Amino acid sequence: MVNDGGEDVSDVVDSFSDSRIVFINRKENKGKAFSLNEALNRAEGKYIAYLDDDDLYYPHHVETLVGALENQTDCQVAYSDLYKTYCKVLPDGSRQILSKIVEISRDFNRFFMLYFNHVLHVSLMHHRDLIDKTGLYNEQLNILIDWDMTRRLVFFSDFYHANEITGEFYSPVEGSDRISVLQRQNEGEFLRNLLAIRTKRPAKPWPKLEDLSIIFATEHFNKQAGQSVSSIWRYTFYPYKLYLPISRAEFDRLKIDMPNVVFVPVEPTSSIPQRIDAALAVCEGEYVAVVPNGLPVGEMWVEKPLHALINSRTQREGFKLIGSTDDCWAAVVRKGEMLSARKRFPQLSVPESLKAAGVVLREPDFEELPFQFDDLLGCGKSAARDGRWTEAAEMFEYAAEHYRNELWMKTLAARCFYKAGEHIKALKLSTQVNARRPTVDTLLLEAKVKREKNDFSAAIELLRTAEQILVGDSESCFRVEVNRSSS
Amino acid sequence: MDVKKNSGIDSHHCTQHYEVLQELGDCYTSVGNYEQAKHYYERAALLGPDEAGPYVGLGVVALQEDKIDDAEIAFKVACRLDNACDKAYTGLAMVAQQRKDYQKAFEMHMKSLELNCDNITALLGLFQTSCQMGSFAKVTHYLQVYLSMHPGDISVMFSLAALYMKDGRLEQSRRMLKDILTLAPSNRDAIDLLEEVERALSQMSQTQR
Repeated sequence: MVNDGGEDVSDVVDSFSDSRIVFINRKENKGKAFSLNEALNRAEGKYIAYLDDDDLYYPHHVETLVGALENQTDCQVAYSDLYKTYCKVLPDGSRQILSKIVEISRDFNRFFMLYFNHVLHVSLMHHRDLIDKTGLYNEQLNILIDWDMTRRLVFFSDFYHANEITGEFYSPVEGSDRISVLQRQNEGEFLRNLLAIRTKRPAKPWPKLEDLSIIFATEHFNKQAGQSVSSIWRYTFYPYKLYLPISRAEFDRLKIDMPNVVFVPVEPTSSIPQRIDAALAVCEGEYVAVVPNGLPVGEMWVEKPLHALINSRTQREGFKLIGSTDDCWAAVVRKGEMLSARKRFPQLSVPESLKAAGVVLREPDFEELPFQFDDLLGCGKSAARDGRWTEAAEMFEYAAEHYRNELWMKTLAARCFYKAGEHIKALKLSTQVNARRPTVDTLLLEAKVKREKNDFSAAIELLRTAEQILVGDSESCFRVEVNRSSS
Repeated sequence: MDVKKNSGIDSHHCTQHYEVLQELGDCYTSVGNYEQAKHYYERAALLGPDEAGPYVGLGVVALQEDKIDDAEIAFKVACRLDNACDKAYTGLAMVAQQRKDYQKAFEMHMKSLELNCDNITALLGLFQTSCQMGSFAKVTHYLQVYLSMHPGDISVMFSLAALYMKDGRLEQSRRMLKDILTLAPSNRDAIDLLEEVERALSQMSQTQR
């Protein structure tokens, strides 16, 4: 337990008289990352879990996550679901609970986690020794500190999603007083932190992630090249190193403060294939993207074709980058296949050598693109915002069937069907969710339809359970979940 | 009562706890547990101080307990909070009916139906009030509108059949009653009224001969 320069709570801690509590009581405020590192350095347990001062564990939180980690031997990280508790802060400082909603219950998605966080730190537990691989928290960050760590964890382990609600965190409806939310309002700071996180590469080996080498091929490093490199830094979220095969004189002229740039010295008169070959000889990624000067670089520029390649089971297959043309050729391929092609056909241009070696380049099909679930989710939410409830419900139902995240999607579908007046469908879905993991939302929906059907005793039972969760009778929440899962 | 003024998938962030309490109040009212119903409506009112729903609920409970003055106060508070709350006007109409002020009851039911022509309590209340006042012209229209939206609603079909009969539109009444008996062959009220209508039609036919 760390007091990071806040009010002295020694008397509260002492009142527990528990030798398991290690209390770091610091008068000076040094920030969250520093505090976490201070605690991690003293932690001795097999597993690490986190709890901020305004969040809440339910009694079964630790048991659930330890159980998951003990049973799921492939996963060294586990997380659960949390209620986001909307509340109104009353004049006396107390909180009036308005709602408890599981806003995100996303099954683990490594690609998404590289792009942005989908696991709340309070719901996270991991093996302590993973910190030896990821490194400690980054004390240079002032926001997104937790994502920086979860992002690094995905290099080393899969995450197990325990589909249980094991705690909650608060969100005042008048505007959050969370430090992280307030700091996020500064756009410049946000971008600085975002780029620092996305470019962080923990030490290898990475058992769960394959590296990408980007070879920037240009004969002259002009202003346009500078802009392209800057865009690569800004938009690329997949871990990469950027290889610059340019002359020593040109490199000396550049003042690049971008991380993960590798200078590959070449003769000023080198051709483009020679420059690419020089970079290929030193690059360490399993995948190689060749990028010419002038290629438009924006959101997902390399991740879309790369995602297709990572998931492709076809040998000798590569993908063209968005914007690639005959004059501005750009592609991502497996490094081994590129090396082999260049070795066999060094006299040819890079695309011709790949073709001669039988490596087929194509554009990714729609179903090979990343974030299809998120696109569908976005469309569903947009339809709901426009009041196209049935359309929204059908999209969420489709997502539940085809893109995992079943309970989350069924909950959204149930809510939309109810709004559309299709109460029987709402009942069916909310009943399914409640049988596995009841939430206030789905209990309320099921109760509403039961009341309409004059099944008042069933409705009252459901509503009273919802009420128990809302008023914070977390022991009851636990019992509800256990009883329902056992039935 | 559903809180419908919000829209969007995440729109109920501020109303979920309120909705649970309001629903509990409504359920306990339906099973006749008025003490529990009041308990939950009062808590709902604390969470949704601008919502009419809890006061409509409290008014309904007060009516059930024959506390007419309390009911009137509750429905008036509901009207003040939401002047488009049809249920609050229905409540005021029922208060007026209890006081045998049929003119006021008629006006309040009409106001309620203007706000929501789907309000079955107001519709049947208007029918009752019309019977008590002997004036049926306006109620026929609302019954027809309601029936076009709920074609199988037997209570409304029966009310309309009765009105047609009182209005001398015997053929329309007979057709409506036969429709009811197709849906519910053992409906005693419909069987009795149909006999009455058939008798009247037969007498009319003999007179014409």
